[in-house]
Amino acid sequence: MSIFTPTNQIRLTNVAVVRMKKGGKRFEIACYKNKVMSWRSGAEKDLDEVLQTSSVFNNVSKGQVAKKDDLSKAFGTDDLTEICKEILAKGELQVSDKERQSQLETSFRDIATIVAEKCVNLETKRPYTVNLIERAMKDIHYSVKANKSTKQQALEVIRQLKDSIEIQRAHMRLRLVLPAKEGKRLKEKLKPLLKVVESEDFDDQLEMVCLVDPGCFREIDELIRCETKGKGSLEVLSLKDVEEGDERLE
Amino acid sequence: MGHTSLDKIKALQKNPANVRNLCILAHVDHGKTTLADSLVASNGIISSRLAGKLRYLDSREDEQIRGITMKSSAISLHYASGEKDYLINLIDSPGHVDFSSEVSTAVRLCDGAIVIVDAVEGVCPQTQAVLRQAWLENIRPVLVINKIDRLIMELKLTSQEAYTHLQKILEQVNAVTGSLFTSKVLEDRAVKEERAEEDKEEGDIKPAECPGSEQVYDWSAGLEDSDDSQLYFSPDQGNVVFASAIDGWGFSIQQFAQIHSQRMGIRAEVLLKTLWGDFYLNAKAKKIMKGAHAKGKKPLFVQLVLDNIWSLYDAVVTRRDKEKIEKMMMSLGVKVMTRDSRHSDPKVLLSAICSQWLPVSQAVLFMVCDKLPSPLDMTSERIERLMSVGARRFHSLPLQTQELKTAFMQCSSDDTAPVIVFVSKMFMVDAKALPQNKQRPLTQEEMAQRRELARQRHTERLAAIQQTESGEGNAQSGSTTPATTPGQMQGLPLKAKPEEEEEKETFVAFARVYSGVVRRGQKVFVMGPKYDPAQGLACLPPVPHLACCTMDSLYLLMGRELEELEEVPSGNVLGIGGLEECVLKSATLSTSPALPPFIPLNFEATPIVRVAIEPKHPSEMPKLVRGMRLLNQADPCAEVLIQETGEHVLVTAGEVHLQRCLDDLRERFAKIEISASKPIIPFRETVIRPPKVDMVNEDLGKQQKVAVIHQVKESDTLHLDPSGLVTLTTPNRQATVGVRAIPLPEEVTLLLEGSADLIRTLEQAGQAQREGRTLDMSTWTLDALMVLKSRLEVLLQGRKWRNAVDRIWAFGPRRYGPNILLNSVEGYQRPSVWHCLEREKGEKEGGAKAEASAIRDFDNSVVSGFQLATLSGPMCEEPLMGVCFSVERWDMNFPTQRTHLDSVTEKDSNSLDASVSESPGEGAMAGASHGRLVDCYGPFSGQLIAAVKEACRHAFQAKPQRLMAAMYTCEIMATAEVLGRVYGVLGKREGRVLQEEMKEGTEMFIIKAVLPVAESFGFADEIRKRTSGLASPQLVFSHWEVISSDPSWVPTTEEEYLHFGEKADSANQALKYMNGVRRRKGLYVEEKIVEHGEKQRTLSKNK
Repeated sequence: MSIFTPTNQIRLTNVAVVRMKKGGKRFEIACYKNKVMSWRSGAEKDLDEVLQTSSVFNNVSKGQVAKKDDLSKAFGTDDLTEICKEILAKGELQVSDKERQSQLETSFRDIATIVAEKCVNLETKRPYTVNLIERAMKDIHYSVKANKSTKQQALEVIRQLKDSIEIQRAHMRLRLVLPAKEGKRLKEKLKPLLKVVESEDFDDQLEMVCLVDPGCFREIDELIRCETKGKGSLEVLSLKDVEEGDERLE
Repeated sequence: MGHTSLDKIKALQKNPANVRNLCILAHVDHGKTTLADSLVASNGIISSRLAGKLRYLDSREDEQIRGITMKSSAISLHYASGEKDYLINLIDSPGHVDFSSEVSTAVRLCDGAIVIVDAVEGVCPQTQAVLRQAWLENIRPVLVINKIDRLIMELKLTSQEAYTHLQKILEQVNAVTGSLFTSKVLEDRAVKEERAEEDKEEGDIKPAECPGSEQVYDWSAGLEDSDDSQLYFSPDQGNVVFASAIDGWGFSIQQFAQIHSQRMGIRAEVLLKTLWGDFYLNAKAKKIMKGAHAKGKKPLFVQLVLDNIWSLYDAVVTRRDKEKIEKMMMSLGVKVMTRDSRHSDPKVLLSAICSQWLPVSQAVLFMVCDKLPSPLDMTSERIERLMSVGARRFHSLPLQTQELKTAFMQCSSDDTAPVIVFVSKMFMVDAKALPQNKQRPLTQEEMAQRRELARQRHTERLAAIQQTESGEGNAQSGSTTPATTPGQMQGLPLKAKPEEEEEKETFVAFARVYSGVVRRGQKVFVMGPKYDPAQGLACLPPVPHLACCTMDSLYLLMGRELEELEEVPSGNVLGIGGLEECVLKSATLSTSPALPPFIPLNFEATPIVRVAIEPKHPSEMPKLVRGMRLLNQADPCAEVLIQETGEHVLVTAGEVHLQRCLDDLRERFAKIEISASKPIIPFRETVIRPPKVDMVNEDLGKQQKVAVIHQVKESDTLHLDPSGLVTLTTPNRQATVGVRAIPLPEEVTLLLEGSADLIRTLEQAGQAQREGRTLDMSTWTLDALMVLKSRLEVLLQGRKWRNAVDRIWAFGPRRYGPNILLNSVEGYQRPSVWHCLEREKGEKEGGAKAEASAIRDFDNSVVSGFQLATLSGPMCEEPLMGVCFSVERWDMNFPTQRTHLDSVTEKDSNSLDASVSESPGEGAMAGASHGRLVDCYGPFSGQLIAAVKEACRHAFQAKPQRLMAAMYTCEIMATAEVLGRVYGVLGKREGRVLQEEMKEGTEMFIIKAVLPVAESFGFADEIRKRTSGLASPQLVFSHWEVISSDPSWVPTTEEEYLHFGEKADSANQALKYMNGVRRRKGLYVEEKIVEHGEKQRTLSKNK
């Protein structure tokens, strides 16, 4: 037994500390690991399952219990349960291993689901399954960033996936109606934004049905609104241009 | 017997009278392949020493490893009986229930079948199935009772006991045949009655069918009139062989009758009649007497036959009595090599003796040649059945087609006879195994390319056929002799010769010639399953389902090897190369377009095990698709499809079949790593009327709620009133919508779902209308739409639904789903979806067009919001179904007035924006308002979409919400004794039995049940396991059903607390499904990461 590791040293193996600074003092409570997030999301309703003890500390690892005066000064009450609840709700906490893991896992799946929803297979015009996207994401070693929204990350993933698999954002089908006199001019401006023009009808006004990348939607919308001063209009025919129904391979 | 040369076989093929096409059928592990081995050994292809161990026809690696046959494979054997030479085309078939499709492919090509029954196990489920299959295909079976050695060695029966045991087995088999016969007679009579009635109506009663009409009410007549004595198996008929294929012996009664007639001086015929049955030998009188059983004497069969075998086994295996063996060998006249007699394993010696004394191949082949019909003896009944596709009767076929029947009957190999070939399956062969090794291997890419090309060519060809046929017109419509048909084919563009392509594997068609001579390079018509000869003969331009192709090469099938042939005469089984581009799974080939396609193969097991398949590396997707296409072609029973979700689904007959398909995909077809998983299960979300009773069936009205559920957070923009009306304001406070969710009656949902196509047309018409165009709709569609509207009006009745049909704003999701957006805004008039209908009728309103284009801006946003809300519900982002969203408030308060919203918003906007007066300059102000509309929350239309969507979702959540599960209807055929276990499996998987009835004339029960799709994974396998294969389910998607339990249910009343406790963690089916879907989609699932906090550990060692 070496002198550097005294056996009587107590290590807290199952304690998650939630801290809060209030009134210039530091308050801590001792909670069970992997429980605080459940409490915050409302899945855990039993406070005793979350708290190790209902006393409030200044420092949990040193075992310093907070003074009653300090508590009532900072929180305006001396009901320990209420104080604990407040600290639980507002304090900063150290996210435990399982919590973090499940968080990352969930957002990873969420990203994959968003990608699968938004994209199609370039060849078959059918969506990829979530599983496949997940696998592809693992293949390109995509790591989830906890502080970015899943949608943002999904768009990032789509860009990266394009190198490894035949993937493409599902096109939006739009109908544009432009007044005749503006038609020609506008069409030139719109051209780079449109992927496929399915039909074009030019009589008293220019009417086009076309497929566009969903990313360009706002741009097109803006362009039409501004340039035609509200006379032209744009209508979303379908958000996602995909094959429908089952297909039998033969 | 030495190895038979190819020339000999070619010569034998020319004489159809001496050709026998037969297959071996039995339950799994009853010794089909072992028996086939003995037969193969008799031709010297394999050593007789190895027969039974080699399993020559199991050429696949996994077949050898697993020890079960997985495909049917054919081999041609030569058998000389007396001075007659026979050619036996033997097809070995798998016994496992998963591969019963392979049995079907084998049975179709044969005229006879060897049914094997295990002497110990007796009649098993698959035995019944194969007997039924043979029966349905009208082929004649003979029986082999195999594994008699097990009676001696394992069960240690005495010869007397063995005799009674064998008798019982024979009775079982005959009982099955009998019940098949009865059900057929009953069926026939029913059909006859129908036809007789039909004929009466038609007024032309065919003489052949007249008796049918007389029999109508005569219940006994059917059974008694039909002669069934030929059907049954009986040793004295000569259609039963007793054998032990593993030890290499087998005998029929005839053999012993001959042996003993010489020895005992009794005539062979007498012995033949008395050897099986209740007869005994009176030693003193040297007479054969009846009633052995009653007098306690040994039956003749025991005394003369079984005792000999028993004593041989006793001497050789049990006692190993050298001297006695010598003596027996002397008396039997058998010589055994010293190597065998000295072998330490007595089995070696035994089989050496037996295979000389009573060689199984002799007994079986003799019986086959004697009892089974040659291709010449095909019954006309069978031909008519083959040719009458669907419910069509043979007599209703065109005259030329009927004439072809004689070609079948003659089975002639003349050049003038029309060629008729049936391909029952396609199988993959390694190109190296092909006789013409000149062919270099072809890479997968090239193969696929070729297939693509071929497909194009195929369509071109079809077009060409149509042209030529229309061109040649009536010239040849009168005659269909082969003389004219080549001319017809001349016009078809020839298939391009395969260029220097390299192939590793090719498809070979497993086929049989029914008439005419097939030559290499010959061109034939390929009839698809739906081809109608009447159309082909009429020579009208479109002849669907008819193609033409060349038979590149012909093969003699010799198990795993192929021998190339130049021509194959009628009545033989053969392999055809070069058809992979024209034939998918099975086809009928002929030189005469008058031939109807044969009736589709009758599969005992339909594919029901579904899995989703994905490549390990997503970039290999195209390879997988190609591989699955090839698999589909190579396997008669597998189905592959791409679902709307993008999943690639493989449907197989069972788990073993699935395993084989996956192996094939991995190693032969796709050559990539794949993974198979449970397929995605769809759900729907809906709302229901508030329930009247709680979970413990107590009336809700009388109790007080202890807890309050459904707490919707109210914010400043969202307001929820107790009646379920949700009002939501857009972030820029310019629009407010009020939405209420109402459950639609079930019939309405059904109706809407059923008429999705119609609604889509309506929607398109409406769209066109708003643009001022007119979309032409046929009068039929219009009528159908009117019917739909009136039916909806009938179904939607009551105070709540007053004028509802006319107020329908849109359908959703995707504009044609089973949900409705209802316009209940007071004072807001908009054309309903039916608008275009009335317009079509000519009630054109002058100002409608201007108005329509003016409101389009925001009207569309509401619809889009509704579409989005219905596409993914709040429970688990699955589509909604059967929900009606009624928009009851829609206020817009812009700083400026919009003319089209005058009626709605005048009041509000006036009060709110009193300072802004009615502006005269509409155009200028519109621009300004647009400028203001683009605020910090994005474009206004987008905000409105989001607001409507959110409002719909909240309105949905304000009502009791339920999940809907997809349901299968499940039909299960089961015998009475396993009925209980079937119910057990169904109950465990949340299935519900709808009805159960006994099938007429059999002892099978038919159970109809519904089963959630979510519970169906592994269902077929479980039910087969639990019932030892006696019940076989079939699953078909039927409908959506509301799951009665509430996914967000927690106990609220006192009774519920009492019953479920505070936590209520008993299984909640809906919650389980919902959480499963949410987890799969990466949505938030309300559950604890750990259930209980873990204890403090005092870890000193590893910290």
